[in-house]
Amino acid sequence: MFMKKIFLILLVLQINLVAFSQIKPSEKLVYAASYNMSGLMTQLAQVTMQTETVKTTKKSFLHLSWEAATFSKWDSFFKIRDLYESYVDPASLRPSLYKRSIYEGGYTKTEKYIFSADGKTVSSTMRKKNRPEVKKSFSIGSSTLDIISLIYKIRTLDFTKIKPGQIISYVLVFDEKEYPVSIKFMRNETVSAGNLGKKECSVFSIAAKTDRLKGKDKNLIWFTSDSKKVPVLVRFSIPVGTGQLALSNASGI
Amino acid sequence: MRLFLIISSIVFAVLSLIFTILPLGTIAFLPVVLTLIFSLLAFLKSNDKQKILPRIILIISVLNLLVVVGKIVLIKDKVVNDKQFELKKEESKKEDIKDLEGL
Repeated sequence: MFMKKIFLILLVLQINLVAFSQIKPSEKLVYAASYNMSGLMTQLAQVTMQTETVKTTKKSFLHLSWEAATFSKWDSFFKIRDLYESYVDPASLRPSLYKRSIYEGGYTKTEKYIFSADGKTVSSTMRKKNRPEVKKSFSIGSSTLDIISLIYKIRTLDFTKIKPGQIISYVLVFDEKEYPVSIKFMRNETVSAGNLGKKECSVFSIAAKTDRLKGKDKNLIWFTSDSKKVPVLVRFSIPVGTGQLALSNASGI
Repeated sequence: MRLFLIISSIVFAVLSLIFTILPLGTIAFLPVVLTLIFSLLAFLKSNDKQKILPRIILIISVLNLLVVVGKIVLIKDKVVNDKQFELKKEESKKEDIKDLEGL
């Protein structure tokens, strides 16, 4: 009986560790963001995805952040300094706090979502340039994720058990609205992965019921097929064009 | 025809200069290559006495091409160390911890 309990505890611990092991708290992924201009890919910005552990007096959180900054040569023309952050439960990746702060060519917008303990309500604060702060509270589903935790959540999937064409559904909260998001496993492909060299990857297509994404199977993410599941390439199609994020450096994985 | 080629090559040469000065990277190849094509055709369509102008434009476009290639190869894309942005991140983190303490 005692051994059975120990075995059960170990099993639970192992399951939690499997979910958590793919995302280490000191991971840093650096990408070069390019935009397709007249058929030529032009490097515009650097995107950094980072993780770190943040402790409060009661709890420990995994801080996930994305930072986008234009390369210095573009700063005088169209400066971008975007910061997306999410504080999630290290085991379940359920978000507790989501923040978005954008600076794009002089336009600014900040958003903050505080998720209730049961994950069913969000208290939001939004401020746009030259506009007053707007506070709101709205209901969400208990499994709704923010855009950052969604990407990390996908990384906890067991890719070996997903078949080509299989669709996995999520719900995303963005701009104070919930969007159903589906990811479809497309194929395996070997691509260049920055300092990691050539890597075999699992390619997923992301679709959401929003005008922000265009085309069928044109928004793709390549995750390494190994246990790290590092996102190495992102190709996107938006109403104003197409672009990509290509991994240039990965550390702490 | 020769006049059309010369006017086109001048227009694209001006665009090439602007694109080369601006940080447009590989996009600058577009007007530079078009200048090369039009000025080369204008050079071939001209008789010996008329070759001076297309030759000048051709030389300008080759120099432009070298500058564009040089900029792409030698100038590495860098993100400036933005102290204001770093400070904003630090302040934001302190505020976040206060919010998280209240959860």
